[in-house]
Amino acid sequence: MIGILGQAALSLAFVSAILATWFYYRAAQHGSERYESVANALFFLKGAFTFFGSGLLVYLIFTHQFQYYYVYNYTSSDLQNIYLWAAFYSGQEGSLLLWVLSSFVVGLAIIRWTSPVYRAPVMVFMGLTQVFLLSMVSGFPIPGWGDLGASPFRTLASEMPDAPVFQANPDFVPAEGSGLNDLLRSPWIIIHPPVIFLGFAMMTVPYSFALASLWKRKYHEWIHAALPWTLGANLCLLTAIFLGGYWAYVTLSFGGYWAWDPVENASLVPWIFGMAGIHAMLIQKKHASSHKASIIFAILAYVTIVYQTFLTRSGILGDSSVHSFVDLGLYNHLLIFMIVAAAIGLVMLVWRYRELPEPKKESPILSREFMMFSGAMVLFLVGFVIILGTSSPVLGRLFVDNPTPPDQQFYNNWSLPFGVLIGLMTVVTQYLWWKRHTAESLAAVLITPTLIASVITLTAVIWVDMRNIAWMIYLFAAVFAVAGNGLLMFRIMRSNPRRTGGTLTHVGFAVLMIGFLGSGFDRPMVDSRTRDYNQAVVAGQVFDDDGFRVNQPIEFVELEKNTPKLIDGRYMVTFLSAEITERNRPGEQEYEILFEDVESGRTFVMSPTVYPMLSNSSPGAVEWTVDPDVRTGLFSDIFMYVAGSSLVDREIERMNRENPGQFQTIDQLGPQMADHNPDETMVRVRRGGTVQIGEYTVTFRNFIYIDESELPEGSIIGVKADLLLVHRESGESAEIRPGYILASDDDSQFAFNPPETFGLPGLGDDFRDDTDTPEATVRFTEVHPDSDEIELVLTGVEGEPERDWILLAAEHKPLISVVWLGTFLLMFGFSVSIMYRWADQKKREAQEKMETQENKNEH
Amino acid sequence: MRPRLIFGIAGIIVFTSLVMYNFSQSITSYVDFEQAVELGGDRIHVIGTWDSSQPAAFSTETMTFSFYMTDESGNTRRVTYPRPKPNNFEQADQIVVIGEMRGDTFVSRDMLVKCPSKYNDANNPELSELQ
Repeated sequence: MIGILGQAALSLAFVSAILATWFYYRAAQHGSERYESVANALFFLKGAFTFFGSGLLVYLIFTHQFQYYYVYNYTSSDLQNIYLWAAFYSGQEGSLLLWVLSSFVVGLAIIRWTSPVYRAPVMVFMGLTQVFLLSMVSGFPIPGWGDLGASPFRTLASEMPDAPVFQANPDFVPAEGSGLNDLLRSPWIIIHPPVIFLGFAMMTVPYSFALASLWKRKYHEWIHAALPWTLGANLCLLTAIFLGGYWAYVTLSFGGYWAWDPVENASLVPWIFGMAGIHAMLIQKKHASSHKASIIFAILAYVTIVYQTFLTRSGILGDSSVHSFVDLGLYNHLLIFMIVAAAIGLVMLVWRYRELPEPKKESPILSREFMMFSGAMVLFLVGFVIILGTSSPVLGRLFVDNPTPPDQQFYNNWSLPFGVLIGLMTVVTQYLWWKRHTAESLAAVLITPTLIASVITLTAVIWVDMRNIAWMIYLFAAVFAVAGNGLLMFRIMRSNPRRTGGTLTHVGFAVLMIGFLGSGFDRPMVDSRTRDYNQAVVAGQVFDDDGFRVNQPIEFVELEKNTPKLIDGRYMVTFLSAEITERNRPGEQEYEILFEDVESGRTFVMSPTVYPMLSNSSPGAVEWTVDPDVRTGLFSDIFMYVAGSSLVDREIERMNRENPGQFQTIDQLGPQMADHNPDETMVRVRRGGTVQIGEYTVTFRNFIYIDESELPEGSIIGVKADLLLVHRESGESAEIRPGYILASDDDSQFAFNPPETFGLPGLGDDFRDDTDTPEATVRFTEVHPDSDEIELVLTGVEGEPERDWILLAAEHKPLISVVWLGTFLLMFGFSVSIMYRWADQKKREAQEKMETQENKNEH
Repeated sequence: MRPRLIFGIAGIIVFTSLVMYNFSQSITSYVDFEQAVELGGDRIHVIGTWDSSQPAAFSTETMTFSFYMTDESGNTRRVTYPRPKPNNFEQADQIVVIGEMRGDTFVSRDMLVKCPSKYNDANNPELSELQ
């Protein structure tokens, strides 16, 4: 019932969006205020319906109505409230809905603050994108065809009518949902997606303004209004990228904040094109040129958002991304959205292209407009390279069948020279931006930053023993950019603090560049033996059993409980404890690992966790995942997680025992191969010698020859081993005499050595008179006369003492804090710029209003 | 034509061809194990599924995770991976390993595990287990 209501609400929102767009179109065409108020009313209505529909979805989620596909698929009744809330946008349909809601809020701001000249035409394009987004989630019933898009209110029964459950009972309601992906159960999910979609929604504004300007032939004024929005969109995308990177870094074992994954690139490329657009708009503002570039970049920034949405949600990237969506049947939908968004932009641009203002004369190379324009072009090329790489499943077909994604090297190799270029250009352009320069005067002001950069780069190169020339150049460019922009920033801060936004962002970017270099110096923290081994691997001196060269270094250290080990030549690490605490989720294990810095004497404890991903697993094959711990340092982080442990192994064993039917032979992280029977222990012991097995000591006292009369027929010889098994703690003992009889039939010899069963001593009173006394067996399997040794196989006696161990994966990650610092500076710079541009625009509007007032008065 | 424009166009042509060339060099095809032997090289991508009937384990001696994988043409080979078992391994309906073929063993340096259940729509395996 509620589902039908929800679907109706979203369908009505869809219809209202269409009508609103139509009325905005009429209003824009006729300049009619009456049409515009009708359109506004429809737009509010659309928002109200969407909010209502979303509210119903949230209600369904909070009341655990698992008959709905979305609720079943993304939630379960044990979820905490904040994750139930987040589940609203954890799936594809819900996240589209969140996008619609964000766009609605942005639309309200446009209606409220945009000057009437642009308002209606801008809202036409804003409305159009809403129509597309809503069509994908509306479930609008089209007679004879079915429901439009993928409604979040679909029921399980309608989703899979062929499932036997539903054929037997159409009203079946699952008692429990399949739960939110464990990896998403992190506080970061509360904030990360909403910021992303707010960024996407805000990026619609420059797109709409650019198209409105083409339509209404007002090619200049739009940038003043669009600039703060583009800055805002970029701030949101940057914040979202940062949150995503930080989330990945501190909670996943990827070991980094960036992996060039298509989903990551999906927000990076629009950000880069947005940046290009901002630069073009600023040129246009100052110099009344580059009208075309402003419009093109504004269109591109949004079209790439839609394009990358298409890539990540259509299922195309299935093989190449770790977190892309599977096709929801929206492939064609998304394709049409993308084609329409791009086609409208292209057609309008071509339509007005000849009319667009041309600069009258060419600017000199050393002018701010030329340098900034070149900067925007470089940004465009960076975005182009990243799009190309991300599009490999589509564009790769030009070169090979069945294309794979490019190596990360592809992205890294291109970003390095681009980084150098951008770093150098920011300084030159910034100096030109604030003051007119000739080549000589420019060279004069650049001497200081060049000197600073040279000294610092040289020092750093020697200090860290950098050998890579490309990195040296990159480092120089980055330090040069920090110094050049920094010096400028201090000057402006003194004279005109409200306008520091620009230089601040450039300093932030330069700091980021330095931080990125740190990833080239990531180093696994291992003990000296492993380090030597790794060096031999790098030198090509290690070969495996089959004679092949080993080329993978070892990045882990095995630690036994309370046995310190020196890693990285500097930290004495001790595995202190492992405990099942269930602090954040069922089955969660917390580890404590003590680090002692032998150089400074400082100590600290790191506590990574490991947990079973119960909602992602079936009971028989529970998956485990790690949650790293990061110790943030000023210059270098220590990133570590527990890659495997005896505690995890024991838990897996226990879970497998509890679900014997679904037992799978996978000894996932344990040290032995799975075909080894863990209960069986084989030992070799010399006559008169002893061997320790678990809590017991076994002494092989002597052979006892079996009298021929006691031997079965056909035997050649028979001996027994005279064994004494002592429980070390209690001193209780048992004497056991397993036999070994060599016999022969007509043509072959064989050993007859049945297992000897005995009661384990030393288990205390609990078992004394119990018929269930645990029994162990021992088999006398081999005699080695030459060494006077025998081989015994024991079962039921624990083989090795319960060893507590962990596999520690620790990594030294330099300059991570610098990356965060650069990001914060960028964010802060954007915020300052937004405030400045917004106030600037308000002032301009007020002025215009006064002028028109005066003009009226004169007439 | 202005010289700067010519210069710009030439630059863009050079740049584009360079990028396209580099791009074409850094992608390869997904292949099966037999093609991997013929292909050679150390950035081979093979798609397949985990063969759960054979043992899979992490060895603390060599610090590698080994398992058996069946490729799309049905060939099964042992695969080694230089890190512990990745997340989602058992649930993956598809595994992509990246590395090189050495005799009958595929030595991977990277592994992509495609985790289906949460985003998958069509054949939710869990639902068929519902009673």
